[in-house]
Amino acid sequence: MVEKKLRYPTGVRPLLVEETARRRRIESRFVSILEDAAFAEVVLPIIDYVDPYAAILSRETSRSSYRFVDREGELVSIRSDFTPMVARALAPTLNPSQLPLRIFYRGDVIRCDASRLGMNRELFQIGAEIVGDPSLDTDIEVMNLAVTIAREFNIQARVVYNDTSIAALLSDEERNAVVTKRALTPSDIARRLTPDIAARLEEIAAQLDPATFALHLDDLDEDTGYYTGIRFRLFGSDSRKVIAQGGRYDAVYQRFGAPAAAAGFTFTIDDLD
Amino acid sequence: MRIAIPKGRLQDRTLALFAAAGYDTPGDADLRSRRLVFQRGGIEWIFVKDCDVPVYIEHGAADVGVAGLDQILEHNCSAYQPIELDFGRCRMMLIAAPGAPPLTKVATKYPRIARQWLESRGVRAEVIPLGGSVELAAVLELTSHVIDLVETGETVRVHKLELQDLVAEISPRLIVGKNAYRTETSKIRTLIGRIENIVMPSVVEAPAGAVAR
Repeated sequence: MVEKKLRYPTGVRPLLVEETARRRRIESRFVSILEDAAFAEVVLPIIDYVDPYAAILSRETSRSSYRFVDREGELVSIRSDFTPMVARALAPTLNPSQLPLRIFYRGDVIRCDASRLGMNRELFQIGAEIVGDPSLDTDIEVMNLAVTIAREFNIQARVVYNDTSIAALLSDEERNAVVTKRALTPSDIARRLTPDIAARLEEIAAQLDPATFALHLDDLDEDTGYYTGIRFRLFGSDSRKVIAQGGRYDAVYQRFGAPAAAAGFTFTIDDLD
Repeated sequence: MRIAIPKGRLQDRTLALFAAAGYDTPGDADLRSRRLVFQRGGIEWIFVKDCDVPVYIEHGAADVGVAGLDQILEHNCSAYQPIELDFGRCRMMLIAAPGAPPLTKVATKYPRIARQWLESRGVRAEVIPLGGSVELAAVLELTSHVIDLVETGETVRVHKLELQDLVAEISPRLIVGKNAYRTETSKIRTLIGRIENIVMPSVVEAPAGAVAR
């Protein structure tokens, strides 16, 4: 009997010889850039328990991963976001004297989506982060590195960024107005900034290339996730697709028992050429 | 910029809205041609089934569109909804035949919304997704109840059904893809402003020097 089923589950597919060769070329160029910048690789498991992440990931986010019960009766999920996994893996061995740490990782994540939008996908990602340095220099380095990498792949990057901590300055109603884009323009928000946030944003902006980076004070989501400071998205010439995203998430390591600042980014490699 | 126009119930009013806001929209002759994509005034106008507008916007295949809240909620669409439009409003209602048994099965084109509403009411009932002519399910007793949009109530009257409860007030909205907004910010803010002037002219009277076009 010949097995007739040709299709794969929604959102996944094999890469055959040519596509694999292309993927590997991109991957090795990418990795060599990160290694040149003194980042070291870690490898993370493809599944993990759901429990340890409960406090970090919103209900909505954890629902977008495939979850099942393992043979010991524990709820596990397939990797859908590297960032919290890196923190959970590194936290127990984090040695303050060795910080800051420069880490990178690569692999697949799988996102499932119960809505009718057909967004299920297996994505190959490479990401990097700097652990243990709360300084603005790190925010700036991380953002600039993402643009440098994009340039290596002939992408004229445009980066839209904001500081997620401004969400705390807005009332629920105001925040909703920003999220839906009903009211509250960037200049309204600018007037509300506390002096320290305003100063921080000014200092960051002064060190970024204005042709590439744009601060959008109204770029806030309903849920800022684990981000605590700068959050950015990198676009290429197809301006509808986010090629890379990242920012600062200083509270994630603390959740796993090792207080350490962290900032990083993740590229989705399928979107590179 | 690419704008998605919903075919069907909302199409004419949506085109009229963009025209009133000063956009060069496809005309009747264009629409009779059966084509679905038109270039006018630097904008690409695409005509898609109303329930597909959120899908185009979410995937970035269109930047701006008009979609009913029913479709936005049913697709769990994350697009921005800067403007609630003042036409084509209707209600999503729980409908049943008079003297119908307790709510145990609901037929609907909106399974996601129906499940959420039932849950919020603490009602345990099975949802049967249907593609259309949903009222028939109640008439033929396929289900005890139906959840569907009610505009004039004519369909409900014809089938001798009765309205039992309000599920949601539904209005069409201008929706904007998040990444389109992030990367084409000034163009899209201009568009939102122009539409706003048509929908809510009173809001625009404000600081001296601001000219409402």
